[in-house]
Amino acid sequence: MPCSDALRALVAVALLVGTGIAGAHKASDSYLQVTAAPGQLDVRWDIALRDLDVALDLDSDADGKLTWGEVRAAWPRIEAYALRRLAIEGCPLAAVGRGLERRNDGAYAVLLLRSSCTLAEGAPRISYGLFADVDPTHRGIAKVQRAGQQIALSVLEPSAGMTSAERTSVTAASGVAAASSPATSPADARSPTTSAHSRWEFLLEGVRHILTGYDHVLFLLCLLIPSVMRRAPGGWQPVERLGQAVWPVVGIVSAFTVAHSITLGLAALKLVSLTPAFIEPAIAATIVLAAFDNVLPIFPVRRVVVTFFFGLIHGFGFAGVLAELNLPRADFAWALLQFNLGLEVGQLVIVAVATSVLFGVRRWRGYAKVVIGAGSAVAMAIGVVWLIERIGNVSILPF
Amino acid sequence: MRSLHALTGALAAGLFLACAAAAIGAAPITPTRDDEVIEVLPASAGERGEDRQLRKRLAARPDDAKLATAVARRYLEQARESGDPRFAGLALAALRAWPDANVAPDEVLLLRATLEQYLHEFDAAVAHLRLLLARPGSERQSQAWLTLATVLRVQGRYAESDAACRAIAAAEVYQSACLAENAALRGETAAARRSFETMLAARGVPAPTRGWLTTSLAELEERDGRVAAADAAYRNVLRLGPDTYAAIAYADFLIGQRRPAEALAVLKDEARTDTVVLRLAIAGTLARSATAARDVAEMRERIALANERPEASIFHGREQAMFALVVERDPERALALARGDVARQREPLDLLVFAQAARASGRRDAIEEARRLKASIGLHDRRIDALL
Repeated sequence: MPCSDALRALVAVALLVGTGIAGAHKASDSYLQVTAAPGQLDVRWDIALRDLDVALDLDSDADGKLTWGEVRAAWPRIEAYALRRLAIEGCPLAAVGRGLERRNDGAYAVLLLRSSCTLAEGAPRISYGLFADVDPTHRGIAKVQRAGQQIALSVLEPSAGMTSAERTSVTAASGVAAASSPATSPADARSPTTSAHSRWEFLLEGVRHILTGYDHVLFLLCLLIPSVMRRAPGGWQPVERLGQAVWPVVGIVSAFTVAHSITLGLAALKLVSLTPAFIEPAIAATIVLAAFDNVLPIFPVRRVVVTFFFGLIHGFGFAGVLAELNLPRADFAWALLQFNLGLEVGQLVIVAVATSVLFGVRRWRGYAKVVIGAGSAVAMAIGVVWLIERIGNVSILPF
Repeated sequence: MRSLHALTGALAAGLFLACAAAAIGAAPITPTRDDEVIEVLPASAGERGEDRQLRKRLAARPDDAKLATAVARRYLEQARESGDPRFAGLALAALRAWPDANVAPDEVLLLRATLEQYLHEFDAAVAHLRLLLARPGSERQSQAWLTLATVLRVQGRYAESDAACRAIAAAEVYQSACLAENAALRGETAAARRSFETMLAARGVPAPTRGWLTTSLAELEERDGRVAAADAAYRNVLRLGPDTYAAIAYADFLIGQRRPAEALAVLKDEARTDTVVLRLAIAGTLARSATAARDVAEMRERIALANERPEASIFHGREQAMFALVVERDPERALALARGDVARQREPLDLLVFAQAARASGRRDAIEEARRLKASIGLHDRRIDALL
């Protein structure tokens, strides 16, 4: 997508804010995003709250307004209702997460479903029965993405057949609702979205998140690039010994770690909450500023202090992922600790590799110009594009 | 150094503001309190509790035809008032106990056909209405005949529409209006005008009837090229009270007369349905108004959303063609959309848009195609003549 298009989209989005978006009229659609990998199938299913209200009377006080309290209380019913109306052949689905999303025509419930199955080759056989009894003009718009293949789009028509078959099975054995969606049992009504997690799952999630969280990696790299050099009157000079590089790195990494642990903890305990719409662009901004500082020092205070402040922002970003993972309430502290430890392990790996490589090439003559100069410029450029993407809610880069 | 710091400060402040602005239009919702309102449900026809109670009663007795049609009619009214197609889906669902049209009670079948008309499934509507009218004892169903006449007219089948009009009880104003409408479309302008004027001169004509009779007269004058008469008739309708159909028709007339600023004024109090936003976007673009960018962006967004369903560009072909032609300035796309549209519905506006797109594309075969289509229907419309 050329940048002018991105900017146009950005302006369009900005202009849409505050206009009569709620007046948008379209037929009822749900959106299914199916991601299939060997041994794992992930489904993200967005369903309009106003459609769910017709089927399930979410608006318990009938005042025409859906509050978070009403939706939260109804969530187990939403999951049970939806899960009974979707089947992907060979892949029994269980709910693993939830969210809410604002679309042009209103607020949507987001159901994250998962199955440890390998989707059979060929067109996936999806039985779809959502709202068959409420609105026959409803459709499910499915995007199926298999690893290494193009996205396949299909429109699912709700078939009453499926719903009625399910209905018979429900009446035949009462309580089958809980069986068909293991996440939902009456005892678990308040936090309906956890499936069985292995003991160290969140440690791995932490590692995975920092290694694949390119924005955090890029930010760390921006901070590390100049650490094997020091500013001398005649420009950048390589440091003599490894120790001279290690100590600043330790300082920076510690500041980053302490800071993001603080905000991650605060957010996880729900003491502080900041919307991702602010945090995600802010993270991109930290990259731009850190990279810029490599080329032209702009921070009035020491880098460690700046790193600390920026680390606070990144911590909120980590917390967002944590929320998506839906930690089990019972072992909340344990899971949080695991996730944070995972982040630190991943971070240490990155720092160790990057510092060694940088230290190795520090005496190269082009280091200041190419690695610091051009590297920072590239980082800045990526940061700016991310900033645009995240503010405008558009997609420019493939990662 | 000091100026650099000022620059950084400004940069950071700018970034912060940009991020904060993004927070307003954010996609994910992260509620923090239980009493936070995350969705406002569409207005209900009556008491919200009443809606819910009706649904519950229907769920308990889904084959109660009287109840089912009452619920369906209620939703159909809401669909018409708000322009929100979801209500038509809810109405269809209320009739789901009768999947077989052959055994559906008369009133259920009539309502189903009316919903199909609303959803632009004209062939299905015609088939169901014919099925209903073939039943013994149903010859006097004026409403069914009137709906059939209307659907056939929309399809450009004027002779069949005439036959349906004649089957409406003769004493009713609907029969003469139905026939006059077809006569006007065929170009029997003088007779049709006289007929409308006679009906309007009668005493005790209720305001809604007066409204649509005058609208029909205005459309007649517009197609016949009598600009001043059309303008006066449209203004007469709108003086009677708010009328969304007439407001949109008048706005189209004003846009056609290159008076887009007036079109914007006519639409300013209308609810922002798709059809209204489309006209605002078109008139705003032509008038270079300050609000044009907003309406264009919103319409583009709505079209993109609707087109996630592949068949949407067929259902809304006319509107999408108008947008492509005037706002996107893409005559080729407009022509493709308009051609798909006239395959299903052939009101004067559908043919006009097709002719405009054909002319803008500069393709002789397309212009010839439009001319042939117009002739085959037998439509009289000087606006289209000027293009072909």
